[in-house]
Amino acid sequence: MAPKIAFLIALSLAGSAFAQGFKPTRTVEVVVHTGPGGGSDLLARAVATMIEKEKLLPVRMQVVNKAGGGGAVAPAYLAEKAGDPHTLGFFTGVWLTNPITTDAAKVTLKDLTPIARLVLEPALIAVKADAPYKTLSDFTTAAKEKPGQLKQSGGSVTSRDNVVRQLLQRSSSARWAFISFPGGGERIAALLGGHVNMMVIEPAEAGEHIRAGNMRVLAQVSERRLSGFPNVPTLKEAGFDVPAVPQVRGVVAPPGIPPANVAYWEDVFRRLTRTASWKKYLDDNQFEDGYQNAADLSKFYDDFTGTMRGILQEAGVKIVR
Amino acid sequence: MRLRSPDFWSGLALAALGGYTVYTARGWEYLGQDGPGPGFFPLWYGIAMLALSLLLVVKSGGEAVSWKGAGRAFATWGAFAVSVVLLKLAGFVVGFAALTFFMVAVMYRRPLAVAALVAIGTTGAFYLIFPLALGVQLP
Amino acid sequence: MEIFGGLLQGFALALQPVNLFWCFVGVFLGTIVGIMPGLGPPATIAMLLPLTFLMSPASAMIMLAGIYYGAKYGGSTTSILLNVPGESASVVTCLDGYQMARKGRAGAALGIAAIASFIAGTVGVLGLMLVAPPLARFALAFSSPEYFGLMALGLAMVVLLAGRSMVKALLAMLLGLWLAGIGTDLFSSESRFTFGSLELLSGIDFVVVAIGVFAIGEVLANMEEATPAEPLPIPKGLRNLLPTLQDLKDCRFAFAQGSVLGFVIGVLPGAGSTIASFISYGVEKAFSRRREQFGTGVVEGVAAPEGANNSETGGALVPLLTLGIPGSGTTAILLAALVLWGFKPGPLFIADNPSLFWSLVASMYIGNVMLLVLNLPLVPIFAQVLRAPAYVLFPIILGVSIVGVYTTSSSMFDVACLAAFGLLGYLMRKLDYPSAPLILGLVLGGAMERALRQSLMMSDGSLTILVARPISAVMLSFALLILLIPVFSKANAWRQKLLS
Repeated sequence: MAPKIAFLIALSLAGSAFAQGFKPTRTVEVVVHTGPGGGSDLLARAVATMIEKEKLLPVRMQVVNKAGGGGAVAPAYLAEKAGDPHTLGFFTGVWLTNPITTDAAKVTLKDLTPIARLVLEPALIAVKADAPYKTLSDFTTAAKEKPGQLKQSGGSVTSRDNVVRQLLQRSSSARWAFISFPGGGERIAALLGGHVNMMVIEPAEAGEHIRAGNMRVLAQVSERRLSGFPNVPTLKEAGFDVPAVPQVRGVVAPPGIPPANVAYWEDVFRRLTRTASWKKYLDDNQFEDGYQNAADLSKFYDDFTGTMRGILQEAGVKIVR
Repeated sequence: MRLRSPDFWSGLALAALGGYTVYTARGWEYLGQDGPGPGFFPLWYGIAMLALSLLLVVKSGGEAVSWKGAGRAFATWGAFAVSVVLLKLAGFVVGFAALTFFMVAVMYRRPLAVAALVAIGTTGAFYLIFPLALGVQLP
Repeated sequence: MEIFGGLLQGFALALQPVNLFWCFVGVFLGTIVGIMPGLGPPATIAMLLPLTFLMSPASAMIMLAGIYYGAKYGGSTTSILLNVPGESASVVTCLDGYQMARKGRAGAALGIAAIASFIAGTVGVLGLMLVAPPLARFALAFSSPEYFGLMALGLAMVVLLAGRSMVKALLAMLLGLWLAGIGTDLFSSESRFTFGSLELLSGIDFVVVAIGVFAIGEVLANMEEATPAEPLPIPKGLRNLLPTLQDLKDCRFAFAQGSVLGFVIGVLPGAGSTIASFISYGVEKAFSRRREQFGTGVVEGVAAPEGANNSETGGALVPLLTLGIPGSGTTAILLAALVLWGFKPGPLFIADNPSLFWSLVASMYIGNVMLLVLNLPLVPIFAQVLRAPAYVLFPIILGVSIVGVYTTSSSMFDVACLAAFGLLGYLMRKLDYPSAPLILGLVLGGAMERALRQSLMMSDGSLTILVARPISAVMLSFALLILLIPVFSKANAWRQKLLS
């Protein structure tokens, strides 16, 4: 046992010594695929602020917005910056699904250098407070009786909202319609106005509406119960044996950077996730700590895209690769 | 239908676009499982475009357009297009200065010295205001 | 009267020196941001977010809101002077505003824009204060079929923007619709008309088209003469430097309907200030006695859209503050800011945070006054911009356009598009195609298609949903009525010919 421990200690020391080989010397660009105010943009800005506060980097981080192309311009931009040690990108689920469905979105996560997975964003299944459904089974039973009549509001057809719907439909043999709205505000308005019956909503968005008594939560799309919703069953607990599809966010780097840099960045973000400010951030936003290092992220990517391909195909979306 | 009138040609161009739209829209789903598909709208406005532009072609009889100054306008546009390329390759300062110089010297036939002065002055002003004072990136 | 009490409390907070300071900073920054084409409130607010941690949330909110409505004041400046829309909502102001400048009345146009913005901005705040909760509930009743009705109403306005050839106006609109269709379809992820280009997957940014067609097209058109006499007449005399009493009288209706329409449309999540300004312009034109003169520099044509896009900011804050639902890009960032500061926007927000809400409301009154005081004296100064000789002015316009487009998207592709649309604008001018319908089609096309498809999904394919619901039925009937106006006027003319 002791020699093994000693070996591991030596290895990690060597590893960190290796990491000492790289240190950023100028402002690090963090590329996001949304405009200012979008999900990734806010996360990147929050992370930059936290890193500065906790003094995890000797330099500043600057958020660069490369919106457009349905989220495909940012990864393409990163790919162009091959070998640049002072650029990073924040990816989300869209970076993973775009290459599957869109011809022009050629850059996959494998083409870039994975660094770390940071958060998993769980979701809630919500209905209007005066709806007759008290549990998720109530909803799916009602949907089975009237196939295609009940409606769900959500994002685009490749978004997590629809993926959850596909999985639930498959598991319950029920069918209900999906209506896409480009903005979160419109989706919530559609639910509160009684124009749709159900939606998949983020806990942060839903919190206040639940408190005001306008919305009721039927289930949570996550592996464990969230601290803010101790009385709401998870999908599995509600009787639906489907994977809790997360919305993921994490860090990547351009292709062609040396392993020393990867180790350095891995280390920075690992230390970030241990800080108190990070824990508070996760808590405030009701995110789940989804930290994975580069190797695990790579594996996650393979699993995730494989599952996605199947689900999207079932959903009738054209698959291109 | 007056051949050679500008309405005739623009109508034809728009008819071509309309036709292309209709053709491409046929390749997409018209009515999907959940509602109209991506082909629905383009098909209809493609048809409308086609119909109206053909109507224009038939009706065409507008006053002849005076193309007198057009050469200069196109030349300026050409300079603009070239400066866009320059912008990408050499940055804002070079691209914009070149464009301004061209416009003043060629278009307005001012003396070259004036042209150079204006070019440098305005480019400098842009540089001062935008990246330095406001922190906004220039190409 | 708790509203009164709340307001007093709000003023007490808002009038504190520190808050007055931040209010001024906000509206000043907002004006500058509005003047710069391309740079808009969302990006500015996002950039300033880290700074806001240094101040109290009330001060921060006051400042950010100041940027939001201040930008609407500034947006009209470049629209009127240079035909470059400073803000997406200012496109409509270009139509008559720039024409007024060409006739030497730039000062009057700028002044009317400021006054209309002030009146409408104040009405917007009043609305926020008095009718926010019931209006928010009304907004919830609004969904896809009603949006479709609204968009259809907007597109029907093309009839009023037509000018000489209805066929060409309709074709311009259809071209706009086609441009709106470029991109990834939301419902099926199918890419339409993208020709394999990555950048086109998100469609073409409306600002690029607007600046290209209006500004660049205008410059190119001006290039035709080697030595133009004078690019734009410099306003001389008080009559042209500021709006006259006659102008103010002419704009009475515009002030009223611009304020109200803008506010109501702003309340609807998803409908923005561009739609509000178009509809207000259309309504003004429909009811005006001199509607044929619209487009040639009519003062109400500036007052109506400018008012509408200002009261829209007040309206957009309604769903944000009463329901926690962001109605537009800027309100989405304000929502994020509130969350960042630890608040929980939602239906209970106002009840939980009365001092924040009321100080915000009070500061908006103050901010509007500040903006009026800031903008009116600047009008004669701005008008002097036109003194610059053509060969300096036009390159500057081109430069400002390039920078404006590049700052919004950091994309050279968009700048290239700018060149393409500039050419289109020039050709449209030469061939006598009106450009307003193009913009109208582009702005409304995407939204209308989405609304129609969403509605049909809601009704399982039955079109009756559009007329079964009262609000959308009303809007569609209005749209129909507007479409029939040319028929009416032709019939009238016919009848008069018969009688004479």
